[in-house]
Amino acid sequence: MNGGVALDTHSHLADRINGGAMDVDAPSNAALSVADSTATGRLPVAVNKPTPFTFDLGNLLAHDPNPIPAEADEEALAATARDAAQALINQLLSTCEIKSTSEGVHLVLPAPQMALPREKPIPKAKEQTKWERFAAKKGIKDKKRDGNKVYDEATGDWVPKWGYKGKNKEAESSWLVEVDEKKEAKTGEAHDARAESRHERKERTRRNERKQRANEAKSRKPGV
Amino acid sequence: MLKAVKPKNARAARAMKAREPQQNENPKTTLFVTGQKTSQILKLAVADLATLKRPFVERFTKKNDIHPFDDASSLEFFSLKNDTSLLALSLHSKKRPHCLTLVRTFDHKLLDMLELYINPETFRTLQQFKNKKPSIGLKPLISFHGTVFEDPNETKYTLAKSLLVDLFRGQDTDEVDVEGLQYLISVSAEEPTDSRPNPEIKLRFYLLRTKRSGQKLPRVEVEEMGPRIDFTLGREQFPDADMLKEAMRKPKGTEERTKKNVSTDAMGDKVAKIHPGKQDFNTLQTRKMKGLKRSRDEDIEGDAQMADADSGDEVDSDALKQALLKKAKNQ
Repeated sequence: MNGGVALDTHSHLADRINGGAMDVDAPSNAALSVADSTATGRLPVAVNKPTPFTFDLGNLLAHDPNPIPAEADEEALAATARDAAQALINQLLSTCEIKSTSEGVHLVLPAPQMALPREKPIPKAKEQTKWERFAAKKGIKDKKRDGNKVYDEATGDWVPKWGYKGKNKEAESSWLVEVDEKKEAKTGEAHDARAESRHERKERTRRNERKQRANEAKSRKPGV
Repeated sequence: MLKAVKPKNARAARAMKAREPQQNENPKTTLFVTGQKTSQILKLAVADLATLKRPFVERFTKKNDIHPFDDASSLEFFSLKNDTSLLALSLHSKKRPHCLTLVRTFDHKLLDMLELYINPETFRTLQQFKNKKPSIGLKPLISFHGTVFEDPNETKYTLAKSLLVDLFRGQDTDEVDVEGLQYLISVSAEEPTDSRPNPEIKLRFYLLRTKRSGQKLPRVEVEEMGPRIDFTLGREQFPDADMLKEAMRKPKGTEERTKKNVSTDAMGDKVAKIHPGKQDFNTLQTRKMKGLKRSRDEDIEGDAQMADADSGDEVDSDALKQALLKKAKNQ
């Protein structure tokens, strides 16, 4: 009760300083209801200003376009700040969605309105690789890969497509290979199908790495 | 300039990636730089601002001979090296006493600058107010008082407002804990008069206390916690229009998509129009009566009748066929 009275005088003082600019609603409070009239220490929460505040709740920002009186002292500044804080908190509690969780009561804020410059430009979209451009032109869609296992009909179990004991190494580890006579006749050397298969596989990976590097270099070039 | 280097390890690669332009940006970090000569007031002010800005703050302790309005290239370099887009340079001179220059960069290039000349008479530090301080990293409430900040044109005061909001607003968030609303930053300026065309800006920090008011909303009280800084505005550099346009650009896909037929009314309730689709009258349940019930042996008959009724125009065509046949026979 005591605190309430002290606050009342405080707000009257603020009233006097603001020259009626700030009406802390003592009369409206008195006229609330019969039941309330017993509680004389009711603290006013409404903020009445000649020009209403505008809010940017996303930034927890209040704009008070009312002029500050000339030669305002600390108390007057505190009173205006109090009004702004009260108005901002009223606005937050009345318009924002309130979520109460085990961590506490949260307010869901709207998106910030005040436009502030970015720190860095918006990132550019990554440049398409040569293959992606070609695929887009031809309308080739990505194939959906269903895992790294393929059914081996000869043994009747699932083996990896690549990697350790991969299916792509089948030709180079087979126990029996056919000799390509035509090739042997052409080169005049013993034809090794296993070595050739391995060489081809290694060459494919090297080719892919070359393409990757070329794409990377191409995408980097305009920036640097 | 820094060379475009290839990161040597994964940690460096991650650090470099974090510094690249992002779609959703991290909060801006502020770098406090000391000029060739500084004053005690400036040192205290910078210390307090840095305390309030934690954890998004970097501080340089050594002096740097920088005069940003002559040459801001070293500030740009600092911005690039430290990944800070807000800089505050403290520089004291006879001509510009207790001058704190707020600098903002975009893409590590200077965007705008503003000088604040701190009034040494009214300055008070954070420590001079003997009360509890808010915890670190909280998002403050900010309020601007005075008509000068509402100017639709670009003035020193609107620039100050933009810079101060950028400096103090903290992390961008879509949710805030009610417990975290602990302090208010109040920025006020008196009306410009003929005798004083450039009124002082008064920067005040208040702790918030909420009290039960017996109503739904709490009663808010304020208590000054410091620092108390009054400053006049000095030289300024407004942002370049093209650069500002680039900086203000919003990334695609961030704007909320408007949902068709859904709106919120004045009471804050969600109002939507829904289309339930066409109703199938064949499955419609009408009133149940004993008289309308079909017995089991009637079932087949009834179905046949139904089929007849359905194929009404077929009957017609049959009649036509028979008539034609009769005609043919007669001939």
